[in-house]
Amino acid sequence: MRRLISLLLLLIVALGIFLCFSGASFGAEGASRAGKLTEDKVNFGRRYASRGLEENKAGNIVASVVVNYRGFDTLGEVTVLFIAAVGLAAILHARREEATPSKAEPASLIVFTGCRFLFPLILLLGAYIFIHGHLTPGGGFQGGAVVASGFLLIYLGCRGRGLRSAGVAVAESLSGLAFLAVALVGLAVGGSFLLNFLPKGSAFALFSGGVIPLIYVAIGFKVGSELGGIIDNLSGEAR
Amino acid sequence: MVSPILLIAVPLGLAFAIPVLGLASKRVPRYVPVIAMLFNLVVSVSLLPHALKAPIVVRTAGWAPPYSIHLVAGPLGVLLSSLIALIGLLVAVYGIDYIREGAKVKYQILYILMLVGATGVVLTGDIFNLFVFFEVLCISSYALVAYRGDSTGVEAGAKYLIQGAIGSGLVLIGIGLVYGTFGTLTMADIAANVSSVGSFRLFVSLAFLITGFGVEAAIFPLNGWLPDAHSSAPSSISAILSGIAIKAGLYAIARVVYTVYGASSILPFLAVLGIVTLLIGEMCAFGQEDIKRLLAFSSIGQMGLILFALALASATGISGAVFLIVSHGLAKALLFLASGYMIYRTGSRDISSLNGIGKRMPIMSLCFTVGAFSLIGLPPFVGFASKFTIVRAVLGTGSTFFITLLAIGLIGTVIEGAYFLRIVQGFYFKPAPEDSPEQTEGKVPFSALVPVGLLAVLILTIGLFPGIVGRVLGPAADDLLDRTAYVQHVMGD
Repeated sequence: MRRLISLLLLLIVALGIFLCFSGASFGAEGASRAGKLTEDKVNFGRRYASRGLEENKAGNIVASVVVNYRGFDTLGEVTVLFIAAVGLAAILHARREEATPSKAEPASLIVFTGCRFLFPLILLLGAYIFIHGHLTPGGGFQGGAVVASGFLLIYLGCRGRGLRSAGVAVAESLSGLAFLAVALVGLAVGGSFLLNFLPKGSAFALFSGGVIPLIYVAIGFKVGSELGGIIDNLSGEAR
Repeated sequence: MVSPILLIAVPLGLAFAIPVLGLASKRVPRYVPVIAMLFNLVVSVSLLPHALKAPIVVRTAGWAPPYSIHLVAGPLGVLLSSLIALIGLLVAVYGIDYIREGAKVKYQILYILMLVGATGVVLTGDIFNLFVFFEVLCISSYALVAYRGDSTGVEAGAKYLIQGAIGSGLVLIGIGLVYGTFGTLTMADIAANVSSVGSFRLFVSLAFLITGFGVEAAIFPLNGWLPDAHSSAPSSISAILSGIAIKAGLYAIARVVYTVYGASSILPFLAVLGIVTLLIGEMCAFGQEDIKRLLAFSSIGQMGLILFALALASATGISGAVFLIVSHGLAKALLFLASGYMIYRTGSRDISSLNGIGKRMPIMSLCFTVGAFSLIGLPPFVGFASKFTIVRAVLGTGSTFFITLLAIGLIGTVIEGAYFLRIVQGFYFKPAPEDSPEQTEGKVPFSALVPVGLLAVLILTIGLFPGIVGRVLGPAADDLLDRTAYVQHVMGD
């Protein structure tokens, strides 16, 4: 009986959600169906697609939206990741003092050598992704995650080696400050936070898009060092 | 005039810089939150006269809304950001010596970021950006609740994390629906077009948003996490959580209901929820033996009263609600801070162990009493002025429905008076428990006396001269109620 009632309630909820999502069409049609909304005034998805390249000269329009039009959100998201990393370290700190270190078994020679061989290549790929974030799919978050996966490999393959926590702290501090500094220079120069104040160059060249590649590189370093720090903390727990 | 965006950018930069500063010196990081919040307080107060003339709309990336994110520093936003900075500053001073164990450097980072999140919530004009800052606020609170790393702290943090994450998920679904319907995320743009969409879809998205934000605002029945979280956190964090963080959730609800949706038909429902929250909070507080849990339940009760006053939809009602946000923020921060050192001194959180503490810690006990009397609503403290404004507003509506609810709600205030007076009576008129060990670590340092004393002085001063805050309350209420003016300011023409 209870199962029947909960099934019924679930159906009602599902029906409600279906009804409102079926009516909501995201993007262009949604705007025009809402009647009063004129297309260019409100439908900014279409506007970004049509004018974004010319306004920011960044070949990857997603980068333009993430770093410029909605860059303030990105700053917040980088902060959220930073909080997660710092919070995890703070909570594990108390337990770290009690834990007794146990000796880990070393990895086999093949794994050890393979990790050392792959590590620089992974870093190179990560750097490539965030340096080309304004040209090709991917960007600071993705590149940073790839970099962090390189550090994960080192932890798995070469026991006892890893990031130095002071290095992680410096990298995440400086990259975060670099993001903010670029944004604040925009405020000082043009009166608007995150303004794209540098010469934008021609689209699809490596040096184009104004401040977008700079910010993406800063995000890449920040995300890489934060995720690396999280891996460091968790592996310290397991060690 | 300084750009209001610095209220977010500067503390954020200081928080990012702390890891490097911490490498250079072990002592420096603990002073960084004080600097950050002092900066915010000065800037917020200097922005207040400008914001009273007209809301300051700040663009980011150089694009006009709705193409980019913007901040709207209106009277309400700047008043609340001043309150956040004021309480944040005092609690930061308190935290210099109060935090003695654990990852102290990381505590200071999380502390600043929590306040950055709250400031961002009250200043932003973009509904997705509201969500981002809300997450900044919530995630740093989860970590700070579990800061001590002991089992009760981690359990409370995990409970808070699970319920908060579900709430955030609901908010995100609500925002997704709004974006799908309107194709925009700017609150003013949505507000301008809200009448052109069928009411069913609006209702569903509004329900998602209210439920999601309601978890953080601790509205019954979404407040199961609060008593554990507020009582197991370090006292300085409890002060911020009770004084500021839950209000950010309530602000978000008010902004969405009034400015974005203009949904007046849902208000009676919110008023009933408010009174139910008030009664349940106060009744649970009455039975508590643990001082911090009692204060936490009392916060739930006060949040109910604020929600009820917000739901009155009149300028006086909202003024009263904002006034109560201010007075409860000051009083509850004071109570948590004072009880923090009392707990250090007695080594126990039991109310009975605090008996006779009036002789051993005279200043802390006196300040605690001021805070408790203000919360009950006794004149001449600020709590009286704010509760009186709410009563006047209810009588001003002349509606039987609201007057009946208020009459029921007054029972809550009576219960509140009963348990606070019982504690204060214990402080002064009951002998100390015989086997109480005198903890030497409970010696109150100067850095704790100053913020607690200042809070007590503020409560008394604003209580005697309510005009100090009163001048801003009217415009703050209009900021919330007057949708056309809000849309006009943000969108231009």
